[in-house]
Amino acid sequence: MSSLNQYLEKLDGPDEAERIYAAEDIGYCNAPEGVPPLLQRLGQEPSRAVRDAIFQALIRIEADASIEGSIRLLASEDPQIRNQAVDVLRHKGARSVPFLDAAMRNGGKDMRKFLLDVLIGVQASGVEAIYEAALSDPDENVVITAVENLGRTRATQFRRRIEDLLLTGQHPMLVGVCLEALAGIGDELSLAAIRRRFPDLAAMPDFFLAPCLKAIGALGAAAEFAEVAGLLAVRGPHLRPAILGALVAIHQRHPAEARSEDLLPALRAVVDDGDPPLCRYQAVRALGFLSARADVYRFLVSCLSSPERLVRLGAIESLRGTPQAGLQDVLTARAMEETDEEVLQALGC
Amino acid sequence: MPDLSVEQFQSLSHQIYQKLGLHFDEKKIYFLKTRVAKRMAVLGIDDAREYLFKLNYADPQGLEMQALANLVTTNETYMFREYDQLQAFANCCLPEVLSAKQARGERSLRIWSAGCSSGEEPYTLAMILQDVFPQAQSWDCAIVATDIDENMLARVAAARYGARSVGDVPDEYRRKYLIEDGDEWVVRRRTADLVQPRHLNLHDRMAMRSMRGFDFVFCRNVLIYFDDASRKAVVDHFYSALNPGGYVFLGHSESIGRVTTAFKLKRFETHLVYVKE
Repeated sequence: MSSLNQYLEKLDGPDEAERIYAAEDIGYCNAPEGVPPLLQRLGQEPSRAVRDAIFQALIRIEADASIEGSIRLLASEDPQIRNQAVDVLRHKGARSVPFLDAAMRNGGKDMRKFLLDVLIGVQASGVEAIYEAALSDPDENVVITAVENLGRTRATQFRRRIEDLLLTGQHPMLVGVCLEALAGIGDELSLAAIRRRFPDLAAMPDFFLAPCLKAIGALGAAAEFAEVAGLLAVRGPHLRPAILGALVAIHQRHPAEARSEDLLPALRAVVDDGDPPLCRYQAVRALGFLSARADVYRFLVSCLSSPERLVRLGAIESLRGTPQAGLQDVLTARAMEETDEEVLQALGC
Repeated sequence: MPDLSVEQFQSLSHQIYQKLGLHFDEKKIYFLKTRVAKRMAVLGIDDAREYLFKLNYADPQGLEMQALANLVTTNETYMFREYDQLQAFANCCLPEVLSAKQARGERSLRIWSAGCSSGEEPYTLAMILQDVFPQAQSWDCAIVATDIDENMLARVAAARYGARSVGDVPDEYRRKYLIEDGDEWVVRRRTADLVQPRHLNLHDRMAMRSMRGFDFVFCRNVLIYFDDASRKAVVDHFYSALNPGGYVFLGHSESIGRVTTAFKLKRFETHLVYVKE
């Protein structure tokens, strides 16, 4: 205790480094008595470095006082303090859940949202009940955050609740996060719910189309492939990454059936017309689905000379995916002219 | 090889940035894909989504992120590595600190190369210091080179390097500061004398507190191998070790901003650097 008292004294000292060390040492003492002075110091400490050290000490002290104090800090006006309090509570893990549960029942709407920010990093019993309550919360931001978290943590037990929210939700953000979540945890019924809400992809607002394509990419069948491919011609270039992502994802799960001969001109246009390199790379990879066709094969071979290295890398991957006679000679010849180290590696050199 | 969608790639690079502080732009999609493919093969995972989920939410100890880190980083060290960053040091930060010291009538400069391995970094800094500031010889200048590994420190003391280590040293610097000895290169005495090898464990908080009064801390490509808490603790010690106005340099793709808010971000031409106010 005497050393703790010494550290507490130094916590209010004039030297910044000494205060940092004092906070650190109080953390290592791991005594509940250290928590109130740390929290008090936090309220008046001008140095960010010392505040950082105080939060690290709160993480280290294994006492309920540290959890309770951090929950109170979630109400701070200072976003940096709130974020660091979230970090402390995440580190506390399962031990913090009963306190979070109580705060969820008694706290205001902002507090309830911040508590869910904590929960994304906590896996423990009791968390499910908090999410149950959050999905019925009167504040839409709380519901949105809950759905977002459940999708990210693959909480499949909430799949049907989220489908219901998708079908009945009015807030665009809520609909968007439901689509995002179902992309991660959905099944055939989820896909059916999505198509009930959005029967015509071509007419969907941009805001919903990107997450919807993500969900269809994750859940869709070969039948959706042609429909998604058709979007390349009718939707704006900014949606191409999402469209291409969905095509690649569906094809991965249904390689034999998911193909569309009509795809070729649209994909060639993406490769040729100066889209961002990553998008062109994806288009070249999608062309690999059709690389058994002579014209596609020739186009992919021509891509080996593209000035854009990601196009060259994509072409090598696509050509190797459906090897044709003489391919190795083509790749070897290309290697003679190639200077990029990574492309040379992909060429097998 | 897994097909990463743009979104998956962005999610992966975001996670790597969050957890390791390493930035991978979109040009690196193929590079990351090949490394992810290796990890997925080891783990028996065939869906990139599953792998991303594992990294994000099913890796509480950070073991998988560490395994991936070992594949996306390189352990090799050589002189004048990350040249752009050294240019920012040589052309902007060092002159600023030196002129402030001269204005205050001070004649000492202390640089800390933390986790210096076999010494290529501290000797690079010694060469730059002598080149930018020829008066260094008459000042009290020191480059304290610390490492946990005594074998590495013995190599620092020997100041003798193979061709791979000196391959990126500009010719002018090579002529001025190195001597060829058979198939090796030896750092000239005048330059080598600026470097002081010292044993230090970055996790030893009491030993770390003894490191004070530095104008620059270099700790490049070391902290990526630490867990979050240790990384934060070490960077906090760097803050305490620096004089006001001092600079900290992590690897060019490592970020300090996500580890601590204590430093101030400062722009010199096209370079971003972190300074203790």
